[in-house]
Amino acid sequence: MVLLFVCFCLFVCFSLLVLLELSLMLALLTKATQFFSSGHTNNWAVLVCTSRFWFNYRHVANVLSVYRSVKRLGIPDSHIVLMLADDMACNHRNPKPATVFSHKNMELNVYGDDVEVDYRGYEVTVENFLRVLTGRLPPSTPRSKRLLSDDRSNILIYLTGHGGNGFLKFQDSEEISNVELADAFEQMWQKRRYNELLFIIDTCQGASMYERFYSPNIMALASSQVGEDSLSHQPDLAIGVHLMDRYTFYLLEFLEDIHPASQANMNDLFKVCPKSQCVSTPGHRTDLFLRDPGSVLITDFFGSVRKVEITREAINLTNPTELSLRNELKSEALFYVDQLPVADIIHQKPKQKDWHPPDGFILGLWSLILLVFFKTYGIKHLKHIF
Amino acid sequence: MAAPLTLVLILSVTIRAVLFRSSLAELISERVEVVSPLNAWKRVVEGLALLDLGVSPYSGDVFHETPLVIYLFHFVVDYAEIVFMIVDGITAVALYLAVQNYNKNVFRKQKYALEADRYPHDCLELMRSPKEMHYIPLKVAMFYLLNPFTILSCVAKSTCGLNNAVMALFILSTLKGSALLSAIFLALATYQSIYPLTLFAPGLLFLLQRLYIPVNPCRSRFWFFTVQYSVMFIGSLLVIVCLSFFLLGSWDFIPSVYGFILSVPDLTPNIGLFWYFFAEMFEHFRFFFICVFQINVFFYTIPLSVKLKEHPVFLIFMQIAIISIFKSYPTVGDIALYMAFLPVWSHLYRFLRNIFLVSCVLLACTALFPVLWHLWIYAGSANSNFYYAITLLFNVGQILLVSDYFYAYLRREHHLSQGLYLRRKDGSEATLVLK
Repeated sequence: MVLLFVCFCLFVCFSLLVLLELSLMLALLTKATQFFSSGHTNNWAVLVCTSRFWFNYRHVANVLSVYRSVKRLGIPDSHIVLMLADDMACNHRNPKPATVFSHKNMELNVYGDDVEVDYRGYEVTVENFLRVLTGRLPPSTPRSKRLLSDDRSNILIYLTGHGGNGFLKFQDSEEISNVELADAFEQMWQKRRYNELLFIIDTCQGASMYERFYSPNIMALASSQVGEDSLSHQPDLAIGVHLMDRYTFYLLEFLEDIHPASQANMNDLFKVCPKSQCVSTPGHRTDLFLRDPGSVLITDFFGSVRKVEITREAINLTNPTELSLRNELKSEALFYVDQLPVADIIHQKPKQKDWHPPDGFILGLWSLILLVFFKTYGIKHLKHIF
Repeated sequence: MAAPLTLVLILSVTIRAVLFRSSLAELISERVEVVSPLNAWKRVVEGLALLDLGVSPYSGDVFHETPLVIYLFHFVVDYAEIVFMIVDGITAVALYLAVQNYNKNVFRKQKYALEADRYPHDCLELMRSPKEMHYIPLKVAMFYLLNPFTILSCVAKSTCGLNNAVMALFILSTLKGSALLSAIFLALATYQSIYPLTLFAPGLLFLLQRLYIPVNPCRSRFWFFTVQYSVMFIGSLLVIVCLSFFLLGSWDFIPSVYGFILSVPDLTPNIGLFWYFFAEMFEHFRFFFICVFQINVFFYTIPLSVKLKEHPVFLIFMQIAIISIFKSYPTVGDIALYMAFLPVWSHLYRFLRNIFLVSCVLLACTALFPVLWHLWIYAGSANSNFYYAITLLFNVGQILLVSDYFYAYLRREHHLSQGLYLRRKDGSEATLVLK
């Protein structure tokens, strides 16, 4: 009797264990499929601060805090293009040199020890920004200043500064319009420079900057709608300026909770900084994005998660000489899949078709002329002609 | 008379050919006094090129010619120089024949009036003799062909020459008496630029005079012929407009051509009066002043035709002069057409009062136009006011010329009816005072 009971208990436990393991495996499987579903193999980040002068300290702090999160989550400096229009850490008005704080009372120094700025000071221009995005840089540009993305890259683009309805001000002297930005992204799409793109902008009326996007696979977030101003968070009385903008402050708080294995998705990101905290209404745009935002992980853009597939089975490697022979045998011409409609993109000069007046016109005109001629001079003159 | 005319034609063709081959051709074709946005050759070429690229030539505010001009130049664009020389020749020959015909009529009427003893006896010195009238047609052709304005306009390949040719053919067909042809050419001229519409009144008056229909609104014959003529004119205008619709298949030539002429959007300086005024104009008043300026062109027809209803050919001359002074984009080619008529009125010389002043003003302004343009645009030491001053002076000189001839003509007519030496009732000499 007791034996039966013990056997039954063991059986139940065993089955439970098996079920648990199966469910775990199933979860892992779905996680694995989810893991491989985004389709990207590398991550890039382009972080731009567009304002200079000491009182725009908060824009540099914004960018540096996103830089910090992105680096912490795994994107290496070689895959980050950091553009800071002014040097706040070594600004002569900074009472605490070599630091840039994001929280008051100097809680968090986002400058750190290993900040690698790629475009600094006057190099942050609209032209350079667009050249970085589209890849059309002079041959002498070093690798650290290039966005060497391919069609399997997920790119995070973060812009901050002073903006308005449809434009973002660079360096107090020029501006980039939303149309230019949309066209740059379209160039990137046509040249297959990104797989998916996350665009975050923290400026006044930031939603106007993503209104004009028309390329696929872009998700955009902005700190305020058209007609609203993005406000700054808190001044630090020791440093004397506002340290961060509200949206990026709460974004930083949100990102501090993210670690490389976290499963937080974009829907959580959309909830960052509601109107009660941010005063402005953050907006987002997902209609160009193919995947459901709920299935997009934060780390798909903010982290650089390497895809590692662990397998326990042995793989047979063939002999390299056999392989090459086999390759030579089936040497068919390799070609790219026809993704790019070249004829549409590269506008060839249209063939010079000469315009000819329509026959009806010529007929009508000459018949009228003949009519008038014969009316004036009479039919009897015809016999002089013929 | 054919031989001297041929000689003049050959001479003018030579001059034009020499200038075409020289380096001055490009210089001249860019001068704003000679070409305007309406008739520049550059724009014709641009419009044809746009058409070859499959785009409507009227897109982009470059091309303001009518579709019939497109049709004409589509085939002859490589031989444009010969075409313009031929066109000038046609104008000269048409004017020659028209003036010959007119002189014959004038002389015939004078003969009948003399036989009917309708002139006072002291007017015999005002009578015109065939000897003096013999060379007038040749002089007219020469004045047209060898006028520097015409030569400049031809070398610049401005389509103003085409407009002049159509108007000359209109004058020829009116003076020959063919109502249908005259209506058709008038419709063509109006279709090219709207202003020859004012020539409807003198054409009608001439044809009425020729058919001996008195200009009396009570008579039905008058209305009958007027309605006939206006139906012919409006009908041919409509036919031409509809035909040009069929050339390109769209109506966008109407705002490009007629909208452009009437609303004067392009304020490039020229020898006219519109550009400076409208460059300064506030938007609020622009429409009002456009209406005022355009009505100004058409308005003089009414009083002039009332006064000159017995003399429609002089009315034609006055109308052409008023068109070329007050139109929205005048060029020197327009001036050349009415200046060609001046030999016809050479018998009025004794009554002209300001001819010396006028000729000096016109010569000086013609010389100063390029100088002040250079000073304004290239040297930068003058401004638009200088150029506009010369434009104003030039137009004032033209108006003075036209009104002087008008005065002389009317005075001669007055003397022909009242006698040359005026006497008061008691026999003492009286002078004529223009109040």
